Amino acid sequence: MIDLTKQSGFNLPGRHRAEKRFQWAGRSAIAISLLFLAIMVGTIFRDASGVFRQTQIAVQVDLSADPASVSYGRMVKAGLRGMFPDVTSRRDKKRLYNLVSSEGSFEVARMVTENPDLMGGTQTLWLTASDDLDLYVRGKVDTTLPERQRRISDAEIAWVGELQATGQLRRVINWGFLTGGDSREPELAGILSALVGSAYSLAVCFALSFPIGIGAAIYLEEFAPANRLSDLIEVNINNLAAVPSIVFGLLGLSIFLGYMGLPRSSPLVGGMVLALMTLPTIIIAARAALRAVPPSFKEAALALGASPVQAVFHHVFPVAMPGMLTGAIIGMAQALGETAPLLMIGMVAFIVDIPESILEPATALPVQIFLWADSPERAFTEKTAAAIIVLLIFLITMNLIAILLRRKLETRF
Amino acid sequence: MPHQHIVKKFDKNLEKIKATIVEMGGLVGIQVNDATAVLLSYDAAEVDRITAYDRIINGLNKDINDRAEILIVRRQPMALDLRQTLAPINIAGELERIGDHAKSTAKRAHIIHNLPPEDATLDMIAQMSMITQAMLGDVLTAYANADIDLAAKITEKDNEVDVLYKQIVQTVIETLSKTPDTAESLIHITLIARNFERIGDHICNIARYVHQIATGEDLKASVDPADLRMDK
Amino acid sequence: MADPIVTARGVDIFYDTTQAIINVDLDILPNKVTALIGPSGCGKSTFLRAINRMNDLIPICRMTGEMKIAGQDIYDPKVDVVALRAQVGMVFQKPNPFPKSIFENVAYGLKIHKMTTSKTELQDRVEWSLKNAGLWDEVADRLDQPGNSLSGGQQQRLCIARAIAVKPRVILMDEPCSALDPIATAVVEELIDNLRKDYTIVIVTHSMQQAARISQRTAFFHLGTLVEFGDTKTIFTTPVDERTQNYITGRIG
Repeated sequence: MIDLTKQSGFNLPGRHRAEKRFQWAGRSAIAISLLFLAIMVGTIFRDASGVFRQTQIAVQVDLSADPASVSYGRMVKAGLRGMFPDVTSRRDKKRLYNLVSSEGSFEVARMVTENPDLMGGTQTLWLTASDDLDLYVRGKVDTTLPERQRRISDAEIAWVGELQATGQLRRVINWGFLTGGDSREPELAGILSALVGSAYSLAVCFALSFPIGIGAAIYLEEFAPANRLSDLIEVNINNLAAVPSIVFGLLGLSIFLGYMGLPRSSPLVGGMVLALMTLPTIIIAARAALRAVPPSFKEAALALGASPVQAVFHHVFPVAMPGMLTGAIIGMAQALGETAPLLMIGMVAFIVDIPESILEPATALPVQIFLWADSPERAFTEKTAAAIIVLLIFLITMNLIAILLRRKLETRF
Repeated sequence: MPHQHIVKKFDKNLEKIKATIVEMGGLVGIQVNDATAVLLSYDAAEVDRITAYDRIINGLNKDINDRAEILIVRRQPMALDLRQTLAPINIAGELERIGDHAKSTAKRAHIIHNLPPEDATLDMIAQMSMITQAMLGDVLTAYANADIDLAAKITEKDNEVDVLYKQIVQTVIETLSKTPDTAESLIHITLIARNFERIGDHICNIARYVHQIATGEDLKASVDPADLRMDK
Repeated sequence: MADPIVTARGVDIFYDTTQAIINVDLDILPNKVTALIGPSGCGKSTFLRAINRMNDLIPICRMTGEMKIAGQDIYDPKVDVVALRAQVGMVFQKPNPFPKSIFENVAYGLKIHKMTTSKTELQDRVEWSLKNAGLWDEVADRLDQPGNSLSGGQQQRLCIARAIAVKPRVILMDEPCSALDPIATAVVEELIDNLRKDYTIVIVTHSMQQAARISQRTAFFHLGTLVEFGDTKTIFTTPVDERTQNYITGRIG
């Protein structure tokens, strides 16, 4: 008699237990990974939360004076004095000026450049508050500490109270973070120059490494004769993929900057160094994609009288393309996050202006993060976290583009 | 000797057809013998038995045809296998006709036992019967063993049957002119002799098929007129 | 009897040190279907692929002896292997249409050899090929659909259409029906019979019944040697060699 419910004789209980154990092990592994991911993302977002909004103070600035004789900085200071006329002592004045960002003059200059009509009269300008003020307003300053241990004095606290009462203090969305370049003052520091620098570098990297990498992969996989030399090349490419990235930085330093004399800190050189680094990854991934193509297409094309080049480019290459793109994106993602080689070629400098071309000095997102993380000011901690978020968004966007492209190319197969 | 088939059932099927032919041939031989005996010593019941038994012979013919049909459907036989499947259909047909001749001979016993005996010619007919029975035995052996040399000898033996037949006809013509009132029995004698002559020819055809199974060659057929052998 | 279109003399084919084909002499007659039969590993596919030099793709494979098509030695250095393959087409065991549309599949050969001069001429040729492959009625309204959206039998006929589009002299078929169901097989066999008027066909097949049905000449290969070669009818009714008889009747040899 066949008994389908029979449990003994087939080692069933033991096997089912083993199955359950494996399933639980898998689930826990995923859960732990997600937990760590959640902790990381949560911490970053928490740290970055302060960056999204920025505190601004309304200052009456007399812009009638000629900027050639009176600097914007002094106009701002005058304006502040005008708002709090009973501040007289030097120490108090210093504290008063501390309300506004020390780079407030640049802000005014920028506003005037954008809107020349502001000149010749007293205007109420919304200027960015200093980072200390911003921290206080957000309640991040421990007011129970004695004044000397705080970065914000009691007087400033009083003034802030007044400003809040009269509506001359507001919190706005900090667009400046995304539109401004780096700054010594954390409240004005923006990510744009690093973003643009990274974008240019990656563009150069992609433009160099993708065609060369794909071409090399196609040649090595489809056309190179199967001899010792080809084996040697394959081994060397695999090894290059494991070389620490700083070595490529050294290479870039000595050859691109030293021998070829290309501009230092430029996205061009940065891109070239990154390209060297990414090439092995792209070649290896592309070769794997080519190998995965069923040989039947190539055979059919050759049997029809296609030349070897035609057979590869008309049939093998399009089918391998999705896989190649995946490899390229992995390579690009790697390149996006690399700091060491860029440091070697000088992209570590403090760059304020947004680079206009690939030849101008620039910095990169990971480098910017590194620099900001190095600064002691608390506000820079928040900027670092915010920059990390920007980096992650960049990465996710790149991946999405790759997935979309792949999806589009795969549907035909 | 050809090797065995990988599929054993195939060999078994072919063996069964062969065995059935041999069985059918054996029974036909007995019919011929019994028909001759009843000619010489009449027994009405025996004649009826022989007549009825012919249906068994026909049944075996049908059986062989059915087996060949199934074999073709199942195995799609090629070359030697195909010849070994198709030829028995023809051989069984020839055996059935021999059986019919035996039956017809037995039925004539009903008639001639009432007529005055013609011993001389009856002796010759008995001789013809002996020879054809021997031929039948040989051809069945040749078939079972695929012995084309034995098959060739049978064709030679048939000459003796033909000679006897001519002698009987000659005797009948002579006797008819001398004693015309024995015409009735003489005619029946002639017809009986004809049966045996035909039996000999059918056995020769079977020999021809035996040769064809083994070699694929039909000794009596020519496709090209240029091949015609005028000496035969 | 017409002059043979493919002649092989003393052909030996080696994979590294293993000899797959031993001293084969064979003549393929024009406008006939020649079947190559034999047990697995007997070398029939290897021999077939030598005719259009597809064995060149396998580095360890080398050939000695003479293989001529229309009197020209195909291994002569002056011969362009691309031109050879344009005139000797091939259909494979597993249908392998390109991952392109039905139209593009058939048009590919015409395009790379620049055989047509205008768009309408190309369309006409594609239509002609599909009609001659017995596929036109089924796909005329969906030429832009991908080739692999068709059934197995249709895909194989598409591959045949693709091969005949460039009007080759000889078509080589390596077990074209082994992946197809009986109906699709019958359709392809009927097609092969119709193609015989205009093309010479060499077909490798595992099925002896198929070889018996569709070929006029049959070559029996065994362990790399050509054991027997002759008219199909003779091979299957009165073969000369005992090895041939054993193979076609399914006997242990």
